[in-house]
Amino acid sequence: MGDSIEKRLTDLYFGNEDIICEGFPGAVNRQRAAALEQFSVAGIPSRRNERYRYNDMREVFGGEYESYFTPVPGTAGVCCGLPVEGPVLPLVNGFYAGADPLAERPDGVIFGSLRAAAGRYPELVGRWLNTAADNAGEALTALNTAFMQDGVFIYVPRGVQCAEPFVIPCCYGSEREARLCFARSLMVFEADSSAKLVLDYRTLTGDRFLADSVREIFVGRGARVELTEAVRFNEASTQVLGSYVRQEADSHFQNLTVQLGGGLSRINYTASLDGPGAESHVYGLYLCGGADRTDIYTGINHNVPDCTSYELFKGVVAGEASGSFNGRIFVAPDAQRTRAFQENHNLQLSDSSHVYTKPQLEIYADDVKCSHGATVGQLDAEAVYYMRQRGIGEADARKLQMFGFVNDVIAKSSFDELARHLGELAVGKIESL
Amino acid sequence: MLEVKNLHAEVDGKEILRGIDLTVRAGEVHAIMGPNGSGKSTLASVLAGNERFEVTGGSATFEGRDLLAMPIEDRARAGLFLGFQYPVEIPGVTMANFMKYAVNEKRRYEGLEPMAAGDFLRMMREKAALVEMDSKMTSRAVNEGFSGGEKKKNEIFQMAMLEPRLAILDETDSGLDIDALRIVATGVTKLKRPDNATIVITHYQRLLDYIVPDFVHVLYKGRIIHTAGPELALKLEEQGYDWLINQYQ
Ligand SMILES: Nc1ncnc2c1ncn2[C@@H]1O[C@H](COP(=O)(O)OP(=O)(O)OP(=O)(O)O)[C@@H](O)[C@H]1O
Ligand SMILES: [Mg+2]
Repeated sequence: MGDSIEKRLTDLYFGNEDIICEGFPGAVNRQRAAALEQFSVAGIPSRRNERYRYNDMREVFGGEYESYFTPVPGTAGVCCGLPVEGPVLPLVNGFYAGADPLAERPDGVIFGSLRAAAGRYPELVGRWLNTAADNAGEALTALNTAFMQDGVFIYVPRGVQCAEPFVIPCCYGSEREARLCFARSLMVFEADSSAKLVLDYRTLTGDRFLADSVREIFVGRGARVELTEAVRFNEASTQVLGSYVRQEADSHFQNLTVQLGGGLSRINYTASLDGPGAESHVYGLYLCGGADRTDIYTGINHNVPDCTSYELFKGVVAGEASGSFNGRIFVAPDAQRTRAFQENHNLQLSDSSHVYTKPQLEIYADDVKCSHGATVGQLDAEAVYYMRQRGIGEADARKLQMFGFVNDVIAKSSFDELARHLGELAVGKIESL
Repeated sequence: MLEVKNLHAEVDGKEILRGIDLTVRAGEVHAIMGPNGSGKSTLASVLAGNERFEVTGGSATFEGRDLLAMPIEDRARAGLFLGFQYPVEIPGVTMANFMKYAVNEKRRYEGLEPMAAGDFLRMMREKAALVEMDSKMTSRAVNEGFSGGEKKKNEIFQMAMLEPRLAILDETDSGLDIDALRIVATGVTKLKRPDNATIVITHYQRLLDYIVPDFVHVLYKGRIIHTAGPELALKLEEQGYDWLINQYQ
């Protein structure tokens, strides 16, 4: 027996601790060892872990990967593959690759590299970083907390309305080498501000990547933030994305994920509604074919009264692919007048594909309006016949129906052009299923 | 235009059409009547190409071509339209998008370019007006949440959009209130031309007050047992089918 995966990763950390810690304030670095300890105690989740029963993370993390603790040279100027105009904050293998490490606008908005921000604004970064991430409950988040070196940083001060979206291409590239990467992003939107974010997670080369990413998003009182993201990893790669959102009173946050494939894409999405009147909208689409695996966990925590959450996830699963959705809604004992709605609908296109859907409601308050619905179905043969009778070819009829199925999720985006493009990407993916 | 000879069809091994003969020429209107379960919708489905039914004998030619050898969509593109007895809902697909596909597929089949967006919108408005359908309906998903009557109007709207050579309307009149019946029926009448033909499947004489048929056929147990002029519909309305069935047996 060789070393355990946990020991190998722990050794990797201590062998490179100096370079990993470089540029971060001492307070942040002191949290790394604790996180690493939490990671080794919990261990990489196996299928025995109820939240990971559909995909074994030990298999993935057991693979051989190279780790580099410095940015890939010559990657500046990476652009986003999505049609949006706005300041571009590119990441390559988790490292910030923008021309300037940090931009500071006259309106007080700061954006750029997390490491650069940690160096220049240690107090600001220290105040927020690692305060939403669940290092105790999620081993892969703890691992990221230990290894994090860079990622995107965005700070929008109180009352500032950002007209243009922040455009964040999160790219992975290598030269015939498997890579383990840890991106860490921190986004803080102070009270009454507003902003939009567009993220594009994708592999640029066919190499095998294991991306263990974490992002923390803070939405202040009355702030409005909309995030739209596409995930398109190659079939050899794995992305584990821990997304932690904390919302204060009367804030409004929308997250729309369009998952266009990837070897294994695991999303751990946690929203904490911490102030009355907060509204959370979490939407997702997963289109899986071939051997794609998508595994989505959402935890919506109604910690205080009078918050509202909406969830709509839809999947089209074909071939040998698998799509899982586990949606937990937690309503704290005194979180009265909570309204929480969750829906998950799936089209299962082949007998050899797998669809798992699991709502999980933990409600400890009594005055609560809560609903959930989950379906797994096939294409409607009658509808295909109806369309063919109007002259639409069989393949087009099937596509049209699938697109009709996913369309309402994409339509949640407030970006017309981007939504249209995501629709086209979805159609392209559907055509390949 | 349509020539059906000794057509036999079955579903799940059960014979439903047992030798249908029917000739429809351009400019004609045919009514098909008959008791519930006699095979009217089955005949319409088999002509449209519904794969649930297996043709076990006979032939059907449409404008000189072997209809039964054509895929469903080619029959439609060649100008055969079926107004469904039970129109199907397609969630998430707007009427406008659905019709854009359908119209352009037909144009492609005819060797024409896709329609310009402006022309298409204008045509949709025009045709919606023909059946007094609110043109806002075209931005809704196909038949989703439509009332029974709206679904039927929508069938005629689609017929108007596609200008078929042969329209088979399967109980387009049932479930309509008096005004809707008038609207649908006059819509169909307005679409009549010397070079197209219509088969209306109905249980009621009322529809035939608007759409006066050249022939009325009675279908019973998978066969056409009687054919006559429009006066037959009146007689059936008064006397029912028994006298014909007795005569036939
Ligand atoms: N899929 C099917 N499986 C089994 N039997 C079927 C199927 N479809 C139709 N039938 C049978 O075929 C017969 C003819 O049905 P059809 O729908 O053609 O009748 P119809 O004349 O249109 O009746 P109605 O006036 O009620 O609309 C009926 O006995 C019906 O039960
Ligand atoms: Mg019928």
